Amino acid sequence: MIHVVLPAAGGILVALATTMTAALPGETSEPTLAEEEAFRRAGEQVAAAVVRIEPLALSAEASGPREAAAGRGPSTGLIVAADRIIATEFAVPADVDAAVVVLPDGKRRAARVRGRDRVRKLVLLAADDLPAAPPLEAVPRGRLRPGQWAIAVGRGWDATSPNIAVGIVSAVDRAWGLGVQTDAAVSPMNYGGPLVDIAGQVIGVLVPLPADTAGLTDGTELYDAGIGFAVPLEDIRAILPRLEAGESLSAGILGISYRDRDAINGEPVIASVRQGSPAAAAGLEPGDRLIRIGDRQVTRIADARHAITPRHAGDTLAIAVRRGEDEAAKLIETTATLAAELPPWRRAVVGLIPAAAKPADDDAAPSGIPIGWVLPGGPAAQAGIAAGDRLDAIATAEGEPASPVGSAEEAAGLLAGLEPGQPAWLTVSRDGVASTVPVVTIPLPADVPAEGPPAEPVAVDPLAGPQDGVDVVRLEAAEVAEPPLAVIPRGEIPLGVLVWCGPPHGPVAEAEAVAWRAAAARHAVAVILVGSGDPDAWSRDDITGVARALATLNRRRPIDPDRVAIAGEGAGAAFAWLAAERLGRGIGVALVDAPLPRRAAIEPATPAAARWILLGPGRDEPTRQRVAADQARLERAGHTAGLLPLAAAAGEAVAGQPPADLLCRWVSLLGLL
Amino acid sequence: MSRVFLLACLLVTVARAAEPTPQEMIAAAARNVVKIYGAGGLRGLEAYQSGLLISADGEILTAASTVLDSETIACVLDDGRRFTARLVGIDPWRELALLRIDGSDLPTFAIRSDGEPVMPGRRVVALSNMFGVAAGDERVTAQRGVVTAVVPLEARRGVAEAAFRGDVYVLDFTTNNPGSAGGALVDVRGRLIGMLGKELRSTRAGIWLNYALPAAELVAGREAILSGTAAAAATPAAKPFDPRRLGAVLVPDLLDRTPPFVETVEPDSPAAAAGLRPDDLLIAVGPRSVTTRAEVEQALGAMAAGDPVALTVIRDGRLVELDLGPRPRGEKP
Repeated sequence: MIHVVLPAAGGILVALATTMTAALPGETSEPTLAEEEAFRRAGEQVAAAVVRIEPLALSAEASGPREAAAGRGPSTGLIVAADRIIATEFAVPADVDAAVVVLPDGKRRAARVRGRDRVRKLVLLAADDLPAAPPLEAVPRGRLRPGQWAIAVGRGWDATSPNIAVGIVSAVDRAWGLGVQTDAAVSPMNYGGPLVDIAGQVIGVLVPLPADTAGLTDGTELYDAGIGFAVPLEDIRAILPRLEAGESLSAGILGISYRDRDAINGEPVIASVRQGSPAAAAGLEPGDRLIRIGDRQVTRIADARHAITPRHAGDTLAIAVRRGEDEAAKLIETTATLAAELPPWRRAVVGLIPAAAKPADDDAAPSGIPIGWVLPGGPAAQAGIAAGDRLDAIATAEGEPASPVGSAEEAAGLLAGLEPGQPAWLTVSRDGVASTVPVVTIPLPADVPAEGPPAEPVAVDPLAGPQDGVDVVRLEAAEVAEPPLAVIPRGEIPLGVLVWCGPPHGPVAEAEAVAWRAAAARHAVAVILVGSGDPDAWSRDDITGVARALATLNRRRPIDPDRVAIAGEGAGAAFAWLAAERLGRGIGVALVDAPLPRRAAIEPATPAAARWILLGPGRDEPTRQRVAADQARLERAGHTAGLLPLAAAAGEAVAGQPPADLLCRWVSLLGLL
Repeated sequence: MSRVFLLACLLVTVARAAEPTPQEMIAAAARNVVKIYGAGGLRGLEAYQSGLLISADGEILTAASTVLDSETIACVLDDGRRFTARLVGIDPWRELALLRIDGSDLPTFAIRSDGEPVMPGRRVVALSNMFGVAAGDERVTAQRGVVTAVVPLEARRGVAEAAFRGDVYVLDFTTNNPGSAGGALVDVRGRLIGMLGKELRSTRAGIWLNYALPAAELVAGREAILSGTAAAAATPAAKPFDPRRLGAVLVPDLLDRTPPFVETVEPDSPAAAAGLRPDDLLIAVGPRSVTTRAEVEQALGAMAAGDPVALTVIRDGRLVELDLGPRPRGEKP
């Protein structure tokens, strides 16, 4: 480019030159270098407050220091007050009460835990002789916008020089309001470090938050995914006094479940109130509709989660609910103090199964639910209730008005408020005549009862193929190379489903369906036989395959979500457990001749997350001992854990075949009320 | 309107013209990156990576890997021309390989050992054939980010430790992908500042590393290969040094990562003289942090005989620093 400038025409030419400059390719003024300088300055702004945290292999919970768990690698911390550092539970796990701090000059300090926020995964450390750090300026939450620069500062890589990663704010309110999301590279190396804006003001402290706080993950697996979280500094400052006072803040539990299965957009109507829970103490009842929690209006279940998740056990929340319908509706205002934990919930049943409704029946049905089957010898049977009766209402306390029952979910919600052994009053009608009978609930039987509900009678068309009442099909779906095999009973009612994972052997052959045909037909349970992608091992990808198979089956024929189970044998047993963890918190798991996988995480049972698990018995003594220990552990957590008989003793025709009849009968009983 | 102001305006214009935009910079730098195709090595390993043209007559620097274990190594230039390359030699310590193709007037990177120092926060662009997505004459993939840290490489691939112990540039974006190794790391002016490394995990943190070998190492590696001293330059890993030689008996190494607690202290030993006590937990040997018994032995082994041994321990929740005097020679106790 040549610029010839004549003094007389200078002004015009300058204007021209500027215009040309802007228009010429290569002359766009992208602020690359200016930004680079800004990143550096933003990091320097906070660097003096950023320290390295090194694991200290010292465990407070172990019986002595010799049994200490080993630390996990360097991480970061932020000086938030004189001699006080915020770090994360990655650097200082729950069973460790101390850490080593490495200062920017390389000197070390011993630090002890003052308090923890188990929800935000933060730890407050106290250490002597920390250098004076400049006060941190917090970016107010209201000023954060997705898209603005976000610079992650840590010292995990190098204690003496701050480590910089650059990204943007991806979302302002994430993980139910706990954190700000960023695409800057967040990893164990900078957990505990500040996320700052382009001016060096602190957006928050980087933490290993799981994306969904209800998940089973510890959050660290997101480190290379372009997803990182920071807890806003103003939220941390709000809890600092409690951490300083030595508190360990845990998640606050209210103790309710919702009728709607959609945990986001569902109606915030309470299905059950846990015995002994803060919700029970606050007088909440099944059927109440949440209107307001704290200062947040609640119109969907998601609103309630947003209101409760950021709070801790011990926090007291104002709660408003609407009780009753239309003119009779009352607004009830109360308060609840959130609890850290609830006694494990145990499922109480009265021993009946509602008749499966065909999809077309829905509108014509009168009030109440038809009873399809009663458990022989169970509370309902002893009270004289029989298949064909209708269950109209349930009262869970003597003298209280009975709550009408319009669906199996409502009945389950009312029973969920009872502990096994507590009485209930069932209003039942037969031939149009209603009566109320008292029953005493029992625990869900752990071992599979000898009888289950019969299959729907199906007219067999001799021209329509094999006459045992089942179809065997491949569950074809887009991009599924080896579709699983499904044995599907004929008929119209929603089906229970058993997913079977044998020892890994690659794709499933048609012949494998033979062992399941009779059992599937007898118990009206669809059986999905999945293959392993790798012929030698089950893998994570196969879990996706199971989820897709269930979705594909559900498109052919509706699935009853209360009766879904996954069972496995050998290496397939561990896979079945892991798949169940991913697929749903309520689905049944059967581990044939196997104990739980060694790393199985057992969450305490809740009405929404209680499993019926069958396991064992194991062919050798060590396995049998592990099975017994697992059974006790599951029972302690409130789940129902039954023992499987040895395959040969299960009445199966051929040893080495899966216990098809037992498992299908079990699935048909999963919806037992 | 004064002439001085006019001149200033023009100077600004000229100065800005000299500063390439990111788009121009990438277009220019990508011409110097080649796609390399070779053997798959063991089952399941990729058969492609990236390389850097460093001389107009066809010298190419790349990562030493199983991709090069092949009868024929093919290099595809930015313009789509395909050359068969010859392996000149490798530097096993830096895991560098020098290839040569028969060409002339080829576009090249200047590799320099005296570039300005690279600090954390420096904006960079990586250019590589990650995942082999650049097919035929398609241009390699550009990724942007910053240098997160400049730290010694402490890494492993599978169970094997990487040999190189010098500083590398840790990046804040994901380059540990198949095909990235051997790619270019350039600054915003398009100057080569490093070569993307192979897929490695951090020994201490267990996370995947995204890193590049600094340009100065590329210069040194090329010289070592051409002078035939590359293999000799590989220093053997330091032998672990047993702290019993200093009079400190640590707890038995029964776990994968046994914490380095002191079990007993030999009377009249350097450890006893320095005041080390049973149940002390070692947390640092000199400036190096240690969290396992094995790391204590490695940290002591990395010192030379005669170096002062300074230990930091935790005792009753407090840090205590101890000076054990010079490290003895490394014979068996």
